[in-house]
Amino acid sequence: MGFIIFIVVIVIIVLWMVSLYNRLVSLRNRRQNAFADIDVQLRQRHDLVPQIVETVKGYASHERGVLTQVTEARSAAMAARTIDDKIVAEQQLTSALQGLRVQMEAYPDLKANQNFLQLQQELSDIENKLAAARRFFNGATTEYNNAVETFPSNLIASNFNFKREIMFDLGTDSRTRMEEPPAIKF
Amino acid sequence: MKYIGLHQQIRRNNTNSFLLLVSFPALLLGMFYVIIYFIAKDNAAEYPGDNYPMSIDHNAMFLAAVPFILVSVAVWFLIAWAGHATLIRLATGAKSLERKENTRVYNLVENLCISKGMKMPKINVIDDDSLNAFASGIDENSYSVTLSKGIINKLNDDELEGVIAHELSHIRNRDVRVLIISIIFVGIFAFIAEVAFRSLRFAGRGKKDNKGGGAIILIAIVLTAIAYLISMLLRFGISRKREYLADAGAADMTKKPYALARALKKISTDPYIEAVENRDVAQLFIDNPRVSNRKSASWDNLFATHPPIEKRIELLDQFV
Repeated sequence: MGFIIFIVVIVIIVLWMVSLYNRLVSLRNRRQNAFADIDVQLRQRHDLVPQIVETVKGYASHERGVLTQVTEARSAAMAARTIDDKIVAEQQLTSALQGLRVQMEAYPDLKANQNFLQLQQELSDIENKLAAARRFFNGATTEYNNAVETFPSNLIASNFNFKREIMFDLGTDSRTRMEEPPAIKF
Repeated sequence: MKYIGLHQQIRRNNTNSFLLLVSFPALLLGMFYVIIYFIAKDNAAEYPGDNYPMSIDHNAMFLAAVPFILVSVAVWFLIAWAGHATLIRLATGAKSLERKENTRVYNLVENLCISKGMKMPKINVIDDDSLNAFASGIDENSYSVTLSKGIINKLNDDELEGVIAHELSHIRNRDVRVLIISIIFVGIFAFIAEVAFRSLRFAGRGKKDNKGGGAIILIAIVLTAIAYLISMLLRFGISRKREYLADAGAADMTKKPYALARALKKISTDPYIEAVENRDVAQLFIDNPRVSNRKSASWDNLFATHPPIEKRIELLDQFV
């Protein structure tokens, strides 16, 4: 009798551990699926960047530094393969584009260009969608991270190599840029 | 834990959909059983003695009729399932909206959908100056959000976002599916009631000696009316609580409950879409006030598909 109870308890514990493991797997998959939504927007941004660079070149050819920065950030972002690499590279691209936008404030001719305005409109549209997709992705990431770090699923997580994953937030670069006071030059 | 609450709501709505699918045909069969019972009794009066033809045994008659009833309900339901989107569009005169026609509205819907990882529904527009909106559909391919021209033009971005989020919450909560299924079944009862009513008028004009037939039709009408009333009350019961839930879902989606509260205030000034008189469609709207001169508010409350807008605004203000 005692033996049977022992077996039943063991089976229940094993089933429980299996369900914890499956939950972790499905949360990790959900996070990866959420990143697919982000990827769609990122790819559209990659397509848009060369057009913007071309348009800007015609008006502000001596801003070569910013333009190369954007182009390089784009190639790096396109070369990234894993989610973590992509997040870092895309953060670079985002801050490079923000730098470009600040520089372009000094060119009234460019800002009056219909083509440029339209491209900028498209870019801000993509950025908005990116922000929405990021919210969904970060929600999925938080849920996964909570499962990895809280008891009892953390016991399973540490044994089967489930690690805490990073969020897709604004890059440290652009965050410091936003937080530092605007430079005033005379 | 609002998140769990939402999932519970979805599960409950799925159960409700299933119960509706089962209970409406059961209600219908019960109704037919009673009707057939009276028909058989009426026939029995004409056949005294033991040589009963089959038409007197109400159980046998009922069993013979069951397949026909079930098949007609199934056929009706399939047609409604496949065609409800078109029917609603025709009833409201709504046109579908493409991205290039109005990027503002399209983007609001698309961004909200992306932020919740849901598939984007279709967007329809009703050419009407009053302010209203509704969601409809049964599955991912038929879900749609319909907005009036007035609501698009008179609300600012934040307010319109709140309204759209409210409609998307209805879709996420599976409210629309329960509602559409119940509308389809109530439509069947309405159809039977109509048929019974017309045949009564027809019988009244016909031969006078057919008194029994008239009585049967009268019974049929009473039964249909009862079934119709039950299904109406059932439908209202399921639709009111979810307005609060959809408001809460919208507040959660946009993080701007005050914008939705402002939008509701604006909507309450002119929610009547003159083009849409069909009450079955009107209960889908974001606000469905009843045009009423009656003094008794409780009677109105019993049949209202939506809670009073002041109460909804009051609740939204608590989110801030």
